[in-house]
Amino acid sequence: MKQGRWAIAAVSVVLGVMLAVQYRSTLGIEENNINLQRAGDLAIQLEEVKKEKGHLEELLKKMREQGTVDTVKEENLKLRFNAGLTQVKGPGVIVTIDDSNVPIQKGENANLYLIHDEDILRVVNELRAGGAEALSINEQRLIGTSEIRCSGPTITVNGKIFTPPYVIKAVGDKKMLTAALNMRGGVVETLKHWGIQISIEQMQQIIIPPYTGVFRSEFGVSEEVQK
Amino acid sequence: MIYAIAGLIAGIMIGLFFPLTVPAVYAKYMSVALLAALDTVFGGIRAALERTFDLSMYVTGFFTNSLLAVLLVFIGNRLGIDLYYVALICFGLRVFNNTASIRRLLLNRYTK
Repeated sequence: MKQGRWAIAAVSVVLGVMLAVQYRSTLGIEENNINLQRAGDLAIQLEEVKKEKGHLEELLKKMREQGTVDTVKEENLKLRFNAGLTQVKGPGVIVTIDDSNVPIQKGENANLYLIHDEDILRVVNELRAGGAEALSINEQRLIGTSEIRCSGPTITVNGKIFTPPYVIKAVGDKKMLTAALNMRGGVVETLKHWGIQISIEQMQQIIIPPYTGVFRSEFGVSEEVQK
Repeated sequence: MIYAIAGLIAGIMIGLFFPLTVPAVYAKYMSVALLAALDTVFGGIRAALERTFDLSMYVTGFFTNSLLAVLLVFIGNRLGIDLYYVALICFGLRVFNNTASIRRLLLNRYTK
């Protein structure tokens, strides 16, 4: 009988260890919830930093305006226009693209009915070929180094994430831009084949915001070229 | 009985103070094993109250039940059959049955 008691005790020890380990593992899951809270806190911090950034940008703009003479100012404005740093106003088109509204048949690839970064790229490329002077996607100005990249169900432009619908604004010759997009076998026709909703509006006047991000100058150095 | 409770407390202490954790991948197996063990323990208490308690049956049952449950769930995972829920429901039902029997036995003992 004495052996029996020890056997029962041993079994109980094993049970106790299992209970405790399971309890601790469950605690670990609750800690994950705390991580979610932390994400919320970080989002608030991000919001604050964004506000501060806006304030500093205004300050920078004021200081730039103070420190320029007229002739330099004019050239400066031209360069800033070319670089996409000024707000641009003029005639142009607004292209709105949204995911397909065609019900997906069983067995079909849902990917075909979604907008991809490549579709946006094709539209932008076509607009550039059609003589667009300034472009923006969802109020995000496109400049020479802007990326249009797939990031899951969203796209990234200038490091910012956007979801459909995508609104592409282009300043330029309205008729040329519309014709470039509506070309037979062109981008609009292809997208419409998959039921993707794309509409082109010709506008007398549209406003495209300036580029507000930072410029990369980590590796390259400017060099004067003799003509 | 005292040995069992002492062992349980010692086990919980060991589990709490030693840095033992189950990786998330094996959490399923751990919970099935735990439930099987609990089932055996309640079965043992019930057997003791019915005066049919058999030590070797209890000790072997404790380990083989747990290991077999884990093994079955593992095989199910490999074959794409989710036996995890089946094991949970089965052992859960047995635990509740056993606790109900224990209650009945205790009531009978103290009311008569």
